[in-house]
Amino acid sequence: MKNLASLLTVIALALVVGCGKSDSTGGPAGGSGGKKITIALMPKSKGNAYFVSCKEGADAAARELGVELIFDGPTTPDPAKQNEIIENWITLGVDVIAAACENKEGISTALRKAQQQGIKVITYDSDAVTDARSFFVNQATPEGIGYGLMDEAARLCAEDGEFAIITASLTAANMNEWQKHIEARRASKYPKMKMVALRPCDDLKDKAQAEATTLLSANPNLKLIMAICSPAVPGAAEAVKQAGKAGKVSVIGLGLPSENKKYVKEGVTQSVILWKTTDLGALTVRAAHAVATGTLKAGDKTFKAGTLGEFEIQGDNILLGKPFLFNKDNIEQFNF
Amino acid sequence: MKRYFRELSVAAALGVMLLLLAVFAPNFFEPQPLLSRLTAAAPKLVLACGVALVIIARQIDISIGSLFAVCGTCAGLVAAAKLPWPVAMLAAVVVGALGGALNGVLVAGLRLPSIVVTLATMVTMREALRLKQQGVFINLPDGAQWFGLPMTAGQFTVCGVAFGLLVLMAFAVKHLSAGRFVYAVGSDAEAARLAGIRPQLTTFLVFVLMGAFTGLAAVLNMVQSPQVDPNSGRGLELEAIAAAVVGGVAVSGGRGRLWGVLAGLLLLVCIGPALTYVGVKPYWEKAIQGAIILLAVVADGLRSWKGVNHG
Amino acid sequence: MNTDKHGFKALLLRHETILVLLLISEVIYFNAFGRRFGTADNVTNIVRHSVEIGLLALVMTPIILTGGIDLSVGSILGLCAVLFGKLWRDAGLDPWLAGVCTLGIGGLCGGFNALLITRLGLPPLIVTLGTFSLFRGLAEAITQGVDAFTNFPESCLVHGTGQLAGQPTQAWILLAAAKGVWLLVQRTTFGRSFRAIGFAPEGARYAGLPVQRRLAMAYVLAGVVAAVAALTYTARFGTAKADAGTGYELFAITAVVLGGTSIFGGIGSVQGTLLGVASVAVLSNGLTRVPGLMNIASELSGMLTGALLLLALASGLLPKMLADWRARRHSSSQSAQPKLT
Repeated sequence: MKNLASLLTVIALALVVGCGKSDSTGGPAGGSGGKKITIALMPKSKGNAYFVSCKEGADAAARELGVELIFDGPTTPDPAKQNEIIENWITLGVDVIAAACENKEGISTALRKAQQQGIKVITYDSDAVTDARSFFVNQATPEGIGYGLMDEAARLCAEDGEFAIITASLTAANMNEWQKHIEARRASKYPKMKMVALRPCDDLKDKAQAEATTLLSANPNLKLIMAICSPAVPGAAEAVKQAGKAGKVSVIGLGLPSENKKYVKEGVTQSVILWKTTDLGALTVRAAHAVATGTLKAGDKTFKAGTLGEFEIQGDNILLGKPFLFNKDNIEQFNF
Repeated sequence: MKRYFRELSVAAALGVMLLLLAVFAPNFFEPQPLLSRLTAAAPKLVLACGVALVIIARQIDISIGSLFAVCGTCAGLVAAAKLPWPVAMLAAVVVGALGGALNGVLVAGLRLPSIVVTLATMVTMREALRLKQQGVFINLPDGAQWFGLPMTAGQFTVCGVAFGLLVLMAFAVKHLSAGRFVYAVGSDAEAARLAGIRPQLTTFLVFVLMGAFTGLAAVLNMVQSPQVDPNSGRGLELEAIAAAVVGGVAVSGGRGRLWGVLAGLLLLVCIGPALTYVGVKPYWEKAIQGAIILLAVVADGLRSWKGVNHG
Repeated sequence: MNTDKHGFKALLLRHETILVLLLISEVIYFNAFGRRFGTADNVTNIVRHSVEIGLLALVMTPIILTGGIDLSVGSILGLCAVLFGKLWRDAGLDPWLAGVCTLGIGGLCGGFNALLITRLGLPPLIVTLGTFSLFRGLAEAITQGVDAFTNFPESCLVHGTGQLAGQPTQAWILLAAAKGVWLLVQRTTFGRSFRAIGFAPEGARYAGLPVQRRLAMAYVLAGVVAAVAALTYTARFGTAKADAGTGYELFAITAVVLGGTSIFGGIGSVQGTLLGVASVAVLSNGLTRVPGLMNIASELSGMLTGALLLLALASGLLPKMLADWRARRHSSSQSAQPKLT
């Protein structure tokens, strides 16, 4: 007869049987020396074309360097799940963790634990709290992104007019940061521009299209739509096109060139801002490798990333470079 | 009049909302954006019709969002291979029907509870699709959008198909014996069996139909833009179920009208845009939707409490 | 009737045995193929990570036993997490006091569900579908989606990250909750009435059971435990946001059904639920440690969990189907009496 006590005994037995094997510390499996270095790369979420293209660059770099690359993350942007995966990696004994952080403070608790166990931690794409990682591979600061978007919007609207923002979700931490900087830039430099609406699209292109349609009609004086989540850029563009307002209402945003080529060439979308995601992935892996082998140390001013070239380090930020503006003239060259 | 009280009250609520919008945000009725919005809601109508049948049969299907994404991706891949759109549509409907058949076999054949079965298929399909497609958009060739028609004609076509399906289904459930069977099975499966109806077969076919509708909805969605987003469909199952429930379909089975579902869907689909037009902050949307669902259900409860029963 | 009881007992026993076998085979497999699976650290992690789902699954068990369901527990978790943060940060309450208030709020949410389900007799599926949106929506409205409460004092956080007598602190909370719910469901007449209500609500009413009151308490309890889960979540994570607990209700239902509780009500056990939680937790942890599967661990764990769920459902009904089929063959060869099952 199974009662709770015997059940717990069974579970405990099962786990003890499991625990019989191997050691109980969670440090790195082997830094330098004969064993392969293990780099654990975490996207904000899987099934996201942006991080998939980062992974391509990361894979290539990992092959060149001869390191083992683990790529795992939550299937939806779930900060708690990110922590769980990191804690798993700690016990797995990886050498370096490189994470794109969904929630700055939340993930730092797990990252600090990793550092305590001797695992090196760097971040890329979205940073954690500074004491939780050694370096941040910075493709563009939130400030840079926010200012860049606002500046481009102002340029297209001649510094005067209404614009709307489409974001992924109201709780997405990085989007909120960008909005803060967009607003700061607007308030200080372009007071004649007015943000009339902010709508979430749940990271879905179709929803973004529907939201944009409504925005266009609800705000007849709208001059520009700023889509800061990548599926929203083509979605907003399609809405503008269908409303017959291509050319009258500008569309800009952060997105992948491959998703936006058609609209940019047709002139519906004026500019797409991003950076070379494959380079970001590759740089992250190279930086992780260098941190593990000790080649990259605190206080370094530059980082030589093999075939990628040399990168400037500001404080503890390894700078990928400036955000790249894709427009009619150059978008054809890019395939990610 | 009394028989249709529930559906009429939803229509009345919709009417009130439209009236308020006419006063406070007349831009809502601008023809072109209105048409675009209706076109965007058309796939949801198809889904809501299907799920209404499922609920009337006293089952539930929460996997339609994932199936929608799978069908859309299939249709997209077929279209991207430069095959004509009827082939893409056929592919989507067939894949959808197969997905529905899987649910149907498990629910009707093995008598497993539909909520758990569709929970399992929902998760499995979504993850399998994510694994395969990795979130990468599928770019459709020119001429796939709007079935190759000019935009406005295409929009009317999409809306027409959805509305036509609604009319067809409303007729079928009332006048075809197969339609009455669904209501019978939903009210009392055992009584239906004794009356000579085959409840298991009926339930199976309802799920297959739901799957086919999902495929159709995915195609109607696909033709509205030149790209297919493999992450689409998230949350659609809840929207469809909410539309059905608000529209008067009873979760206890055996009751509900498709016209009510139309009213329910329109009501829920208008909330988001209404907020935008009136200028209310978007973070109230979910709370308002939840409140409307609850109001609808409470209205149902109060009504049966008072002993008034509608067939 | 004796054979029936034997049949059910055997069924129950059988389901749990299958689960234990599943759990053991998972452990053996991951120990063999996974890197560093069997370490004390990893086991600690598995336990720590399953506390919230475990709590929700535990409290969902009596609800499902009554034939009901509660889809809003994840949203209650989110709302409570956010209100806890607000009470502590904006109202300046002491964390302990804020925590107690949060439990009360959870109870109120559960009470709202209970009111609609028991007083108005509305179907639990739809009521909790509505409150699923409503509570989450309230959490978003309160924080305007953006606000995140952070920098909780260390005394709070230790409950999520610290150790108590060598085990993670939340493990004790989970254990206490498990013991509590088990006692409630299997040992008290109060709890045993849940099964009766699930089997035959009318029969239970005729038998004099205060069905409405019992049902109400099950939903209120769910709200309170969801609040507890909100507190451990916030403590472990250090941040409280409106999207906390998204999707947790479905995980909880998965664990409960995997554990042998029938969604139709009347059959089930707390130990089954615990086994269900353990199976899923071990599976998703183990997959991240098998080289070759590591990179698709998250997707694979989702797919396998779905498959497991279907297998569990099918296996639970297989013996009954076999018995039915055998009985039908037997009775059709004897007489043409219609069967009433």
